[in-house]
Amino acid sequence: MVTQTTSGLIVGMLLFLVAAGLTLIFGVLKVVNFAHGTFYMLGGYVAYSTLGATGSYTLAVLAAAAAMALFGVLFERALIARVYGSNVLMQLLICYAVVLIFDDAVKIVWGPDFHAMGMPPAFQVPPLFVFGGVVPPFYAVLIGIAALIALALGLGLAMTRLGKTVRAAAINPTMVSALGVNTTLLFAVVFAIGGALAGLAGALAAPVRSLSPGMGFSILIDSFIVTVIGGMGSIGGALVAALLIGLLRGFGTIGFPGFTDGLIYAAMILILVFRPQGLFGRRTA
Amino acid sequence: MSKSRHPALRDTIIAAVALVVILLIPAVHHSPAFEDYVIRLAAMALFATSLNLLVGNAGMVSFGHGMFYGFGAYAFALMMQLTPMSLPLAAVLAVLLTTVLALLVGAVCVRLSADYFAFVTLAVQMLFFSIIISWQSLTGGDQGLRGGIPRREFFGFDLGSQGHLYTFCAIVAVLGMLALRHISASPFGTTLRMIRDNENRASFLGIVLWRARLAAFVIAGGFAGLGGVLAALFVSGAYPELADWPNSGQAIFAVMLGGIDTFLGPLVGGMILLALNDVVTRVTEYYGLVLGIVILAFALGLRRGVLDFLRHLLAARAR
Amino acid sequence: MRKRAINRRSVLAAGTAGLLAAPWVARAQGKTLKIGMQSIFSGPIALLGTSSRAGLQMAVDRINGSGGLLGRQIEVVYRDSKGQPQEAARVARELVNSSGCELLIDAEASSGAFAVQEVVRDLGVACIHTASETSSLTADPKIRVATAFRCARQGVHDAIAGSTYLAAYSTEKKFTKWATCSPDYAYGRDTTKQYLEFFKKFKPDLEIITEAWPKLGQPDLTEVITKLLQAKPQALFTLLYAGDLSAFINQGNVYALFSKMTVATPNVDYPVLAAIKNLPAGIQSATRYLETFPDTPANKAFGEAYHKKYNELPTNWSWQTNAGMHFMEAAVKKANSTDGKKIAAALTGLKIDSPFGVNGTLTMRDDHTLVDYAIGWGQTVPKPPYITGVKPAVWGKIVELETDWKKQQHYI
Repeated sequence: MVTQTTSGLIVGMLLFLVAAGLTLIFGVLKVVNFAHGTFYMLGGYVAYSTLGATGSYTLAVLAAAAAMALFGVLFERALIARVYGSNVLMQLLICYAVVLIFDDAVKIVWGPDFHAMGMPPAFQVPPLFVFGGVVPPFYAVLIGIAALIALALGLGLAMTRLGKTVRAAAINPTMVSALGVNTTLLFAVVFAIGGALAGLAGALAAPVRSLSPGMGFSILIDSFIVTVIGGMGSIGGALVAALLIGLLRGFGTIGFPGFTDGLIYAAMILILVFRPQGLFGRRTA
Repeated sequence: MSKSRHPALRDTIIAAVALVVILLIPAVHHSPAFEDYVIRLAAMALFATSLNLLVGNAGMVSFGHGMFYGFGAYAFALMMQLTPMSLPLAAVLAVLLTTVLALLVGAVCVRLSADYFAFVTLAVQMLFFSIIISWQSLTGGDQGLRGGIPRREFFGFDLGSQGHLYTFCAIVAVLGMLALRHISASPFGTTLRMIRDNENRASFLGIVLWRARLAAFVIAGGFAGLGGVLAALFVSGAYPELADWPNSGQAIFAVMLGGIDTFLGPLVGGMILLALNDVVTRVTEYYGLVLGIVILAFALGLRRGVLDFLRHLLAARAR
Repeated sequence: MRKRAINRRSVLAAGTAGLLAAPWVARAQGKTLKIGMQSIFSGPIALLGTSSRAGLQMAVDRINGSGGLLGRQIEVVYRDSKGQPQEAARVARELVNSSGCELLIDAEASSGAFAVQEVVRDLGVACIHTASETSSLTADPKIRVATAFRCARQGVHDAIAGSTYLAAYSTEKKFTKWATCSPDYAYGRDTTKQYLEFFKKFKPDLEIITEAWPKLGQPDLTEVITKLLQAKPQALFTLLYAGDLSAFINQGNVYALFSKMTVATPNVDYPVLAAIKNLPAGIQSATRYLETFPDTPANKAFGEAYHKKYNELPTNWSWQTNAGMHFMEAAVKKANSTDGKKIAAALTGLKIDSPFGVNGTLTMRDDHTLVDYAIGWGQTVPKPPYITGVKPAVWGKIVELETDWKKQQHYI
């Protein structure tokens, strides 16, 4: 039971990190970032190379987050800024183009085969036994870090000036701009945070998952599901939904091995039909 | 600026001319690759143009259109493999079944507001896809329907021969496009565009919004199913990838690249995408990179589809 | 009238552009002999394509170096289908119809191979599949095609050989409680079922206490690992491969899974071994390609030459395409032609010398599939040769049981 819960928490927490960025970007910028999986993928590869070059996993994680924050800003300024207010299909087109380009770019730089980062030496220790369940230390640390970030995000949005501005901009960007806030800077910051979160998730997941071009795809779909169920723009909603899905996957393999996915999609449909703003989202007009 | 007094006649003539040209090309220059291209384009044109009935005309962005394309392919292939029915009958039935599916799905989705509609269609498609994969005994799961589609002869057509398949697809595609054109140019089409532009006004005029949208969804689904039938004939089978959401994405790109506001836009977009696929894959392994750059060029440079761009250009010149 | 003019103009413009496009003019046949090879070169199983290409290229270089085939130099045209069956079909047609390929070496997996099979059925070109292990491709008379052959290991052969070994191993170690963990798609499900059928036959007291079915390419196997740990089997049979197997071993190590149960898998390829930093010892594994099995100089020479040229070790797919080309070469020489029907006649029952065969030979059987290739099982060690104590499978027994199985499936 403990083992199953921990595994569900891990899947859920990683998913939360990625989905949080997605939902933040949508909440403030009203942009559906279909390229979000690419941030995750690049974060993983950057961490892999940094670990290889420096031997320090901490550095690798920080490098991934920083690199993806920068990438997020560049992406927003160079491409997304041009299609604010356009048809959502234009945004989709641009994001998808970026996905295509970077899937191949990764192939060129790191090769088409899969890479395995391997567990950093610090964590190559036997697992802990908690209440009859098995908990690897690395995963315990991972859950801890993700929880801290969730807390920081939540507090940051609620209490800091920046956080309040971000929330205000999510409700009424024109007003915020009229009040003298530099929305250009704000939007870039939001993308930086979103990118950093996804990159961080990629770096945290890298020791155990395989890295390959196109790995952003499945996490993107899952993040969408989380964002829809949790509510577009709601960080708290993303947390709850991500944990729900993680736990469902964790326990689902006992009951319905083949059809956990189908259940999740059905849940998404039900939410969209009966409560489209998600569990915690705000109803848009 | 005079308008033709018989637009329906004009369209029919254009279609007839186009069909004759297409059918004559193999007589002038026989190229199997070109014929393959046209066969695939036939399927893609129906798929993308039917999507544009929703996207461009009704303002309904559907991310899940591929499910009808895929369903049409599977329904047709299954009927041909499991029953001795004739090919045209199987095709018609497949399209009818797809329209029923579109009715069921539309009933659930169509009343939602724009953003949510897009996501729910995506969710339904993903659910449909996971059913295809899980229902291995019927659909063959991820391996698809294997063993080929028996090409039973009908009206002198033997679709096992590439020439006949080419002719058949050209005829079906041109007729299908003509039908879509009539629908789009009809008062119903005007209603859809009115709903797209200002749904409140449309509703004040007494139009029942959800009924019009549902009708559009069902019609679009049916034509996508017809495209799926042609796709099944090309690969001689049916595979889950036809119903997967990257395939829906292909139709969206065709619409965006060719022009959302012009009837032939999706056709042109499809031509570009398929041609790019054929050409680029011969030259480099990095097809994604090239396609991504091309899409960016369109999205950032032209900022609209090719035919829309041309129309704006010519309209500007005329002033 | 403008709208009408633009409609017509756009139709004409589109049509002319279409006509003028050069790629659709089929190129004339020249002195070079073009062979088409398609596979998956992108995504999580890109290794399939890259190692197939490497294996094929080695064979082609050898042939070209000794004067070519029927006096013609071979040129291989490669295409990536990205694992999409409709793209695989299009590519196969394009290779034959426009790029002037006279022969096909098809290294597509699963559904791609079936799609290519239908194209081959239509076009009548000679084709050797070198990656698909699904039995029905050649065993099912409805799917079999006159000019298509398979030079690759077959699911049912591996199932018989593997379960023979594992049944003996289980009896020796007194294991009866097993679990399975295989990817949830046709290959995973069908092959696991095949293995278990024979396994239960050889060891009736076998008990499968739990089954796990992760999705192919699923990044997170934690829930699967925890499920297995909870069930406490004595041994685990898994069909995960490539990146998934690597992820499974890495994630399993974190949970010390390998100290809690013996793991058996047929899929430990060299690249997986190279990618894993802490390979547990004692994994019961089949030899997909192993330099030391068959323990012959010819086999070792192949491995070394491959390593020298590509800086990595061969995979199962490498030897299969290499041998496939060897078969194609022999058949073309025998038929003195590249005509599909003639090659099909030449290939049926053809025997060639090969370092990958049990007794130094490989045979292409009447039902268009490969037999007599080396299958062995042994256990892993963390350093080269990586698998030791290899016990070879007995082909007489394999064929006997395979025939029973085919009758059971109503293939014969």
